[in-house]
Amino acid sequence: MKIKEIEFKETASKRIYNSYIKRVRKVIKSLPHQDQIEVLLEFNSHIYEGLQRQKSETEIDNLLDVLDKLGIPEEVLKPLVADKKLEQATKTFNPLHIIKALMLNITNGISYLIFFFLYLFLFGFVYLIFAKLVNPNEVGLFFQNGSFVVIGKLSSEIRSIAVFTEVLGNWFIPVMLLSIIVFYFMITYLLKLKRILNKK
Amino acid sequence: MNETFVNKWKSQVKKGTLTFVVLNVLRENKFYGYEFIEEIKKLTEIEIAEGTFYPLMNRLKKEELVSSEWVEQESGIPRKYYVLTETGKETLIQMQSYWEDLSKSIKKISK
Repeated sequence: MKIKEIEFKETASKRIYNSYIKRVRKVIKSLPHQDQIEVLLEFNSHIYEGLQRQKSETEIDNLLDVLDKLGIPEEVLKPLVADKKLEQATKTFNPLHIIKALMLNITNGISYLIFFFLYLFLFGFVYLIFAKLVNPNEVGLFFQNGSFVVIGKLSSEIRSIAVFTEVLGNWFIPVMLLSIIVFYFMITYLLKLKRILNKK
Repeated sequence: MNETFVNKWKSQVKKGTLTFVVLNVLRENKFYGYEFIEEIKKLTEIEIAEGTFYPLMNRLKKEELVSSEWVEQESGIPRKYYVLTETGKETLIQMQSYWEDLSKSIKKISK
């Protein structure tokens, strides 16, 4: 990222400036490249302009005044990072971005916790796929007299008492995989809707 | 008499009218961040913190009331200038008319 660094007369000022910018970079590291540049340019510009008109005696005091007013990068950037991450996650549907976005937003309301559990619920299907691989005869989607009974495992003892029909057969795993994908997109779409509604 | 109550009320009023103030200051100008904050202070004596100002500008941009543009400088450190969009201008006119109605009513009841 090419952003012109501010020049200082004293090395101490330069070091403070560098460390501040480094903290900003670290906080916004997970954002899309373009957003990172935007934030850095704006911070850099604000610091530079502030230095041009400060009236303190020394350069270092001027710099500290400007930085104090700007605030702690980790604090002031948190809402922006949380929102941008959510925007990116719901745009790309990338699971890694979604996990990160939910983590950043978890303190912003109960609904994000609910979304977290909705995503967690997808692992239920993953579990079923493994269960099917391990125990192909007892795991499936079972019907009795034409109505749905259970998705999961029915032991042979229970099945010997009443008649249960497994309806998916070899399609069980593909159907579970498809369910994961469909639910994943549905939940993520809801998350996207939630973010848009937040803005209103 | 009740000073803390009045002070609390004042800060609520300031908070509630901040967007109106910011849009008005920008009405016929364009400012970059640092200058904008200074200008608001100069014109209204409202001291708006950086931590309030920048998120507010981001929100106004998202609402498309304000747009921004990076302008290269001789120093090599560009400035980001903010201006009102057409929607911003129209919105401001509506806000102004509401503000006038409100202040008329308040004058009437407070004499």
